[in-house]
Amino acid sequence: MRFESEILGLPSGTESLLRQLIHDRTGMVFDSGKVDIMMDKLAPLVVKRGFNSFLDYYYLLKYDENAPEEWRNVMNALSVGETYFWREMDQVRALTQTIVPHWFTTHPGKTMRIWSAACATGEEPLTIAMALQEAGWFDRASIEIHASDGSSVAIEKATQGVYRERSFRSFSPERRARYFCPDSSTTWRVRPELHSRVRYSIANLMDEADFAGLAAADVIFCRNVFIYFSEIAITKTVRSFARLMSSPGYLFVGISESLLRLTRDFALEEVDDAFVYLKESHGS
Amino acid sequence: MISNSVGIFTTDRDLVVQVWDTTLARLTHINSGEASGRSLTTLIPDLESRGLMKHFRRSMQEGVVEVLAAAFHHYLIACPPQTPSPHFKEMRQRVMIAPLEHDGGIAGLIVTIEDVTPRFDRDRDIAESPEQSLDNNDIVRALDDPDWRRREKVIGQMAQRAAPDAISALLISVRDNHHNLGLLNSALKVLRLSDVDTHSTLIEFLGGPDADLRIQAALALGEQKDERAIPPLMDALRDANANVVYHAIEALGKLGAQEAIEALLGIAESKDFFLAFPAVEALGAIGNPRVAPRLLPFLQDEMLRDAAASALARVGDEFTVEALARILNDPNAPTEMVARALAVLYERYETLYQEGAYIAGLCGRSIRPTGVQNLIEALGKAGVDDLRPLILLLGCVDTPAAARVVTRHLGHPELRNEILGALVHHGSAVTELLMAQLDSEDFEVRWAAVTALGRIRDKRATSALAGLLGKDEELAIPLIGALTSIGDPAAVEALFALLGTSDAAVRKATVGALNVLGPPEMVERVIPLLDDPDPAVREAGVRIAGYFGYPQCVDAVFGLCRDEDENVRRAAVEHLPYLEDERTPKVLSEALRRDVPIVRAAAAGAMAQIEASDAVPCLVAALDDEDPWVRYFAARSLDHHGAPEAASALHGLAQSDKFQQVRIAAFEALWKIDATLAASVANAFSSSANPDFRRAAALAPNNRNGTA
Repeated sequence: MRFESEILGLPSGTESLLRQLIHDRTGMVFDSGKVDIMMDKLAPLVVKRGFNSFLDYYYLLKYDENAPEEWRNVMNALSVGETYFWREMDQVRALTQTIVPHWFTTHPGKTMRIWSAACATGEEPLTIAMALQEAGWFDRASIEIHASDGSSVAIEKATQGVYRERSFRSFSPERRARYFCPDSSTTWRVRPELHSRVRYSIANLMDEADFAGLAAADVIFCRNVFIYFSEIAITKTVRSFARLMSSPGYLFVGISESLLRLTRDFALEEVDDAFVYLKESHGS
Repeated sequence: MISNSVGIFTTDRDLVVQVWDTTLARLTHINSGEASGRSLTTLIPDLESRGLMKHFRRSMQEGVVEVLAAAFHHYLIACPPQTPSPHFKEMRQRVMIAPLEHDGGIAGLIVTIEDVTPRFDRDRDIAESPEQSLDNNDIVRALDDPDWRRREKVIGQMAQRAAPDAISALLISVRDNHHNLGLLNSALKVLRLSDVDTHSTLIEFLGGPDADLRIQAALALGEQKDERAIPPLMDALRDANANVVYHAIEALGKLGAQEAIEALLGIAESKDFFLAFPAVEALGAIGNPRVAPRLLPFLQDEMLRDAAASALARVGDEFTVEALARILNDPNAPTEMVARALAVLYERYETLYQEGAYIAGLCGRSIRPTGVQNLIEALGKAGVDDLRPLILLLGCVDTPAAARVVTRHLGHPELRNEILGALVHHGSAVTELLMAQLDSEDFEVRWAAVTALGRIRDKRATSALAGLLGKDEELAIPLIGALTSIGDPAAVEALFALLGTSDAAVRKATVGALNVLGPPEMVERVIPLLDDPDPAVREAGVRIAGYFGYPQCVDAVFGLCRDEDENVRRAAVEHLPYLEDERTPKVLSEALRRDVPIVRAAAAGAMAQIEASDAVPCLVAALDDEDPWVRYFAARSLDHHGAPEAASALHGLAQSDKFQQVRIAAFEALWKIDATLAASVANAFSSSANPDFRRAAALAPNNRNGTA
């Protein structure tokens, strides 16, 4: 549906300028089959700024003093927030059943840091927290869970901790009753004791300064975000992870997101039934 | 045949050795097992300290070929010469470093190392003898000579003899390294860049006694995009070795060899178990439509059917559609294969002739209920790659069952164009199915349903869509778009109710929809909006009144230029030019001088639409505004008016405004107004590090009749 985007001015070449700019700043790649989607998502932002042309908006994003604020709107508009609890659980199980026990054997008394790098509205870090809770780890060891996303709207929702039915599509009613309480006839609110396990922040994965502190983690979950990134953007992000995270460091990506062709900083290991990219202790 | 002087190794992007050939192992006394998997910096520890690393980095980063001349660098890997030298303890090596390309990127490097010690010995021992007979290694050696005149002379002497040893080493290396064509192509490119005649040597191998080399040569010739290879490759179709013929067929296909069509058809029609399949594939690759009738019979041949369908998709016509549909209509049809072929055929017609609809229509008429059932069944178990062609075909047939299954796939964002196309084809038959999806949990499903309903334009959907306005915020703009497209006045009340929304984009879309759907009595509905206590409603009212230019609203719109809300003032100012009232220039001028930045910027933009004599003096003054967007839009409006009196001020802004967008707008306007003056800035723009400046400089001459 190109409704607003059709009535805005689109001088020749502006589409590709915007595609390139958005790729450079967000890592997201919109090929020719998806560029309409990008333009449709940006069109309301162009209108809200009072512009009649995408080119004016391009200049705003690139040169205006208030561009950082506008980029937050772009990240919100382009982000894909569709996720749910208990998604791709093999990796979370590998974390709780093998990686965490092994890590605390070799790092007794230390605090383990886990970072959910593209947490959307918080379903992933809360899933990790629930799994660690059920495995009894919060009673036995010190574990911090950090979660971030490039979309401030997503982080705002995650901070509120209120979820609709579709977030529970892979979730048993018993588990929902244990960790959530009804908030309205159609929504559920995460219980404070679980919610407080996760610290949320806004971070753009294309801006190392945004996530340098977060990436100093022992485990990074960065799942179902690289499918929207170009290879260049993935390589850049993964290199930053490799440089910043601890050794040994464990990186989980989505099941359809292979890094094998893009990095040698990590070795692919199979832990239980899940794949994990391992940054080894000697730093190879 | 293998050269005893050229060794090859390859690395990945991190300079870790991947391939280390046997010649190199012999030259350096480092065997493949020792070298493979090791970083180049550990294998050659003095790489950085000797200043050689920068050549590897440059080749990797910039994709260029780097040559390390033996005269300067002596060697890359320290080792003794193959035969003891009276002059040199270390082997003199000529080294070429070239990028290994893969999928449009650089996957690593290929490095050739040649032992040139004997030539250096000879240069020292023997007085130069230009007429001396040259052996097979001389061309390779000649490449290293720093004196281009000697190099040219030696290569000229060798004419067609090329560098068979080096190339044979490469071919053997390719064979030993699992037929890595990327390596072969990169390596041949390296040799060609050095003026080595790879073509003649490959042709020589193709007719030579060594079957392995004949195969590799055919393979390589297919990759070289050199039509001179076609006649010898056609000769190779008569080679006694079937593997050579196989690769010659493939090569002819890759070269698009029209002259080989008859020979290839002959091979295909011979039904040779080993060769007919590549022959059909090659005929598809050559892409000449005249072979289609002779490929059609192969669709009945189980062995050749897949290859024939794939080839026909690239060369076939309407008869192909019917033949493929006949296969699809069989209960045991290879559905996915046929669907893929028909989808490729559809795309080819769409791309080449914008006649995809013609193929779709033929498909719709040719596919019978059994074929539809096959498609539906295949869709249920299809992988991601097969969904697209199956949905495309289901969109061609007029069957309710097909419409239902397509509707069930609404939630696939990657297939949205195909699904929408299919649903729109089914038209009002799917309206109710789509309306049932409007309350789906999945946003993608709701979005696709709304969009499809808008395109189908069935008024039965108006009420359901209008009912969602104000309830489904994420879908507000697609809903408004769909209602506008349907064009049913029954949506007007729901749209009016949305005018007070706080979302400016939704408000503007609503105004746009009302401007299209507006009832005859619209003006009576608009007048009260202009006096509404809600500024969002006043702003919307101004936009509608301004769009239609209702005389009854003119005074009110002028009054709203002094509204307490800046967004209302901005909307009023933007629409003044459309009211055709004599007060407009004065009010715009006042707004441009005295209002807040967003209203001043709107006034500057609106001044493009009034008489130049009124606008230009105000716009020139606005070029000094403290706000960059006011200056930007003033420059754009001056561009529109083509005002010569603005040239000097625009020149100043183009040269040194603090904000880049202002410099660009000023430059573009200046180019239109005074190209000579603009030329004095153009150099700085075209040589700027900023791509937006370079783009402006490149486009300016084309934009003299319109803004960029």
